[in-house]
Order: sequence, then structure tokens, then C-alpha cells
Amino acid sequence: MITMGIDIGSASSKVVILENGNKILAAEVVQIGTGSSGPRKALEQAFHASGLKQADIEKFVATGYGRSAYEDADKQISEISCHAKGVHFLIPDTRTIIDIGGQDAKAIGLDEQGNVKQFFMNDKCAAGTGRFLDVMARVLEVSLDELDDLDKLATEPAAVSSTCTVFAESEVISQLSKGIAKENIIAGIHASVSSKACGLIYRLGIEDTIVMTGGVAKDAGVSRAISKELGKTVVTAPNPQTTGALGAAIYAYEAACRK
Amino acid sequence: MDRINYIINELKCIADNPKKAMDDYKKATGKGAVGIMPLYCPEEIVHAAGYLPMGIWGGHRKISKSRAYLPPFACSIMQTVMEMQLDSVYDDLAAVIFSVPCDTLKCLSQKWKGTSPVIVFTHPQNRVIEASNAFLVEEFKILKARLEEILDTKISDESITESIRIYNENRQVMREFTQVAAKYPHIINAVTRHSVIKARFFMEKSSHTALVKELLAEIRQLDPKPWTGKKVILTGIMAEPNEMLDILNEFDMAVVADDLAQESRQFRVDVPDDDDPLYRLAKWWQDFYGCALATDVKKYRGEMLINMVKEQQADGVIVCMMKFCDPEEFDYPIYYDQFQQEGIRSISIEIDQESQAFEQIKTRLQSFSELL
Repeated sequence: MITMGIDIGSASSKVVILENGNKILAAEVVQIGTGSSGPRKALEQAFHASGLKQADIEKFVATGYGRSAYEDADKQISEISCHAKGVHFLIPDTRTIIDIGGQDAKAIGLDEQGNVKQFFMNDKCAAGTGRFLDVMARVLEVSLDELDDLDKLATEPAAVSSTCTVFAESEVISQLSKGIAKENIIAGIHASVSSKACGLIYRLGIEDTIVMTGGVAKDAGVSRAISKELGKTVVTAPNPQTTGALGAAIYAYEAACRK
Repeated sequence: MDRINYIINELKCIADNPKKAMDDYKKATGKGAVGIMPLYCPEEIVHAAGYLPMGIWGGHRKISKSRAYLPPFACSIMQTVMEMQLDSVYDDLAAVIFSVPCDTLKCLSQKWKGTSPVIVFTHPQNRVIEASNAFLVEEFKILKARLEEILDTKISDESITESIRIYNENRQVMREFTQVAAKYPHIINAVTRHSVIKARFFMEKSSHTALVKELLAEIRQLDPKPWTGKKVILTGIMAEPNEMLDILNEFDMAVVADDLAQESRQFRVDVPDDDDPLYRLAKWWQDFYGCALATDVKKYRGEMLINMVKEQQADGVIVCMMKFCDPEEFDYPIYYDQFQQEGIRSISIEIDQESQAFEQIKTRLQSFSELL
């Protein structure tokens, strides 16, 4: 039985095609999100990678910010539930998920069965999200892919505000003007994102195993900063941007089995 | 069902159009309306004068002019009230009465930009001793005298006593309504429930009582249907706008009880008996419980909410956290901790009357309904 999950975020669209609820046939990411051609392109890529077509899909679940506007799915489920489902499948010991996407950050607490116990999200603010890193990378004239390697060269992290992306951007510009090394500023940016994420985790309560997901998890500098602040190991989920879509595909499988 | 839908629609129209409700009252009685700022005011004194006490709770609108007078961290009720003052929305009110249990209300009471005269009174923070009642009686005497002067009328003790009777009857009927609404969520959904309760702010209370009584009689004739969705309790200052309540409906979450300042806290407690009507109104403040703005050193609110959850067999509590409401924020960690100990699921969502987008709240509420 083939099921599919689509996670339509603010900044990216992800599709996972699953066989019999446990074998990943395709996991595709397109870096444009809701309201764009992103979802369609992600679907096309997933069908191409798996050699399948829409008619082969038994059930299809949509999640993410753009789920409500996406009418082709059989069901819409929140990304909180889908990330929990997906991460529990990949790492059953997970008890805390830190998901940092394009425009929001979430801390999700799971029980032993992988059910969501509690969750906290950031409120109406880009600080501590992928958007924050986008803005800083542009100011520093580096790509997002370079942030991790540059962070490893830092000798003394600069102080960067975690309250507001716009104010933090001004701070970074000011620090560049003073000649502070990019690596140190990047380490400070990572610490800033970490402090926002950890604020959510402190509200949740810290419980191992801690797993990071979302597009920002691809920047290992952020997970290192979170690990340092919490004093705990933070595991990055395999293919961290697709855990929501994976969870959606698993939910689709469970619904198909119940039918 | 036709009569039920008719009454619901009638009350919803009143809740959505307070200006028309005020104009209709003026036409019918020849008397005007007195604005009542949040949260708790002895409306009975206004009612006894023959005027319509009109609740002022802000509204769903963008803020711009208000920024000249209020800091950004004033709650959105005050921001939108200020905005509407500056747009002359309240200028037809004969007077505006302020209670000032929080700092923002204190500030706003000193800078009313509309044309109506303002009367300010203070609740005693220490409300457990007899002197608190004596203090509040004096405040109410001043309020009454000022109202008599502005409205050019005399307000007798007998008329206040009669108004207290009318208001207590309305409080009783509203408590019944919330109980019936809990049993008939397929008829009284989250939006309907709110409209029926909110309409009482813009109607003469005995008229509101009559309509709600008729509504309850009609509903009780129907068999309750089993509810397959989730049951939730709302707590906070208010749960608006309707776009937020629509999300509860979308995900089959029935509001089986509330602890909202705009709703059940208004009619949770009756005005007690006594010979002196002003003393009775003052004693209400001492008897009142479970609100962040009514000092309670034992913080009974958490226990009250836990009992509500058990009585209604609710699945969880939705904390409707008014953005920038310090008293509500201070209460939250205390009762949240109590919820955790009892295994009660809860979520906090931010209420901001200026909000135009509700996707973030939708994500939270949908996720909450999925984990219940």
C-alpha cells in the first residue's frame, strides 16, 4: 500500500511517499512554500524519484502552514502531530522535538508511544526561525550552507539580540562595521536562535532524547548551540526537513488501514 | 428549531451591532445609554436610572491613532477602545463609567478622548475585611451622585433594589444557559454561545432574560445528541473575535464552560441580600472569586478550573491569554502547574483584537484537538 504526505511550509514544500507505512520510496524538498508552485514541484519530484503516479497513492495527508488551502489531500493534520509521528518513527526514544522552520519554532513533548503530550510555539515573531538566518546570511554575504563551517572557526561569539530580527540585523551590521570577524558573528547568531528555541524547551521541560527537525536543523551550528545551552546531546533527525511529511504519510497509512 | 434559530439570530444581531441596540433603546424609552468599561461595574445603578448600561470591550479593528496615547504594551481592549474614542464611536453615550483594577484601565480612565463625561471608581484590592465593603459603598455613593448629576435624575434605593432583582435573575438564567449549552453543543456552538452571552451587554437585562428563557425552553424540548468531538473550557479575559471561535467549531470543540471575564465571570456570583442596596452591590465584590483582577491570596482559580473540568468531563482547557494582560499572565504559571499535577491538558493562545490573520491560532487549536 502506498501513501503520501505533503508538508507545505512557509518557505519550503516537502513530499514523502511511503510503502506499507515503513519504507520511504521518495523524500523530496522544494525551497518554496505555500501559495507558490512549490507543492506541485515537490509532488512531481517525488513521483519522478519513486516511479509512481497519483493514481498509485491510496491515501494522502497534508500538513504544514499551507495545509488548509491544499484541497487535493484526503485529510489535513497539524504539523505538530505530523512531526511527532515522523520523528517517533525514525527515533522511537524521542521525548523532545525542536522543530525550527522558515517562520516558526516549536518545542514538542512526546510520551513513550510517540503521542504529543504538550507543545509550545513562538508567537508572531521571526526571531529564532529560518527567516532570521536568511536575513543574517544576506547581511553577512554568505550562503546558508556556509553558516555551519564558518561557525566552527569562531573564537569568541559576538552578542546578537534574540528579541527581534530587525534589531538583530542592525546589530550585525554594526558589528561588521567594527571589524568583528564573520565567524564570531555567525556563532552569535546561532546562539541567538538557540536562546529562542531553548526558551520554548524550558517551558516544556527537558527530556532525553532531544531531536531537532525542520530546515534550520540542516545548520549544525544551531544544534551545537542548543546542545551547549541545554548541556544535553541534541540529535538531528535524518533528512530533518521531511519529518513532517513523513509523519503525514504515516498518518495516511494508518487511516488507509482503518478503512 | 425555527424559533430557536430566530432567537439566536436576534441575539447575534444585537451582539454584532451595539450601536443599533442603543439607538433602538433610545427610541423605545426616550433615555440613552451609559458606557461600562471592563471589568466589573455596578450596572444596576445605571439600570435603576432607566438608562441602558452598554458594555465597552473594544472591537476587532486596526490600531493607528491610539498609538499617540497608549504604549504598545497596553492590551488590545484598551487600544481598540482608545481608537474608537478617537473615531467618536462612543460620543452618544451619556456617560462612561470606569472601574480601575489594572494599571492600563487606570491610565485610560484619565485620558478619555471622547466627549462623554467619565466617572471613575476604585475597587478595594484588599477585599476580605468589612472595611473593604464600607470603602466600596462610599465609592458607589460618589458614583451614584455623579451619575444623578450627569443624567439629571434621582436614583432611589427602591429602584436599585429592583434592578438588583432583575440582574440577579439574568445572572441565574445565564448560568442555566451555560449548563444547557454544554449539553446541546450541536445547537449552541462556540460562536452562538458567545453571541448569546455578549448580547446581554447591549440589552436591558429583563429583555435579555426573557429571550434567553424562551431559548432555553425551546432547546430543552429537544433530545440532546451525543457529542463526538472534544469538550473544552475557556479561561481568560475574553475569547474573540468570532474568527477564533469559528476555529473551535471547525475542529468540533464544544465550549462546555467558561471562566472568561467577558462571559461567566459577569454572572458567576449573585449580588447578595441585605437591606442597603449599595452595600449589597459592594458585598458582591467581596463574594466574587476566580478572577486574576480580584485579589485572592489563596489563588483558588486553579482549583475552580480543575473542578469545572471534572464536572463537565472536559477534555482540556484553552487559556485565552489577552496579549499584554499582566494580571492574567501572573495567574497562568500557578494554575498551569496545578493542571500538570492533575493531568489536565491545556493550551495558551494569544488574544489580540487587532489580529487579522488566524493561521497561527488555527495551527495551535488543531494540534490541541489532535492531542486530546
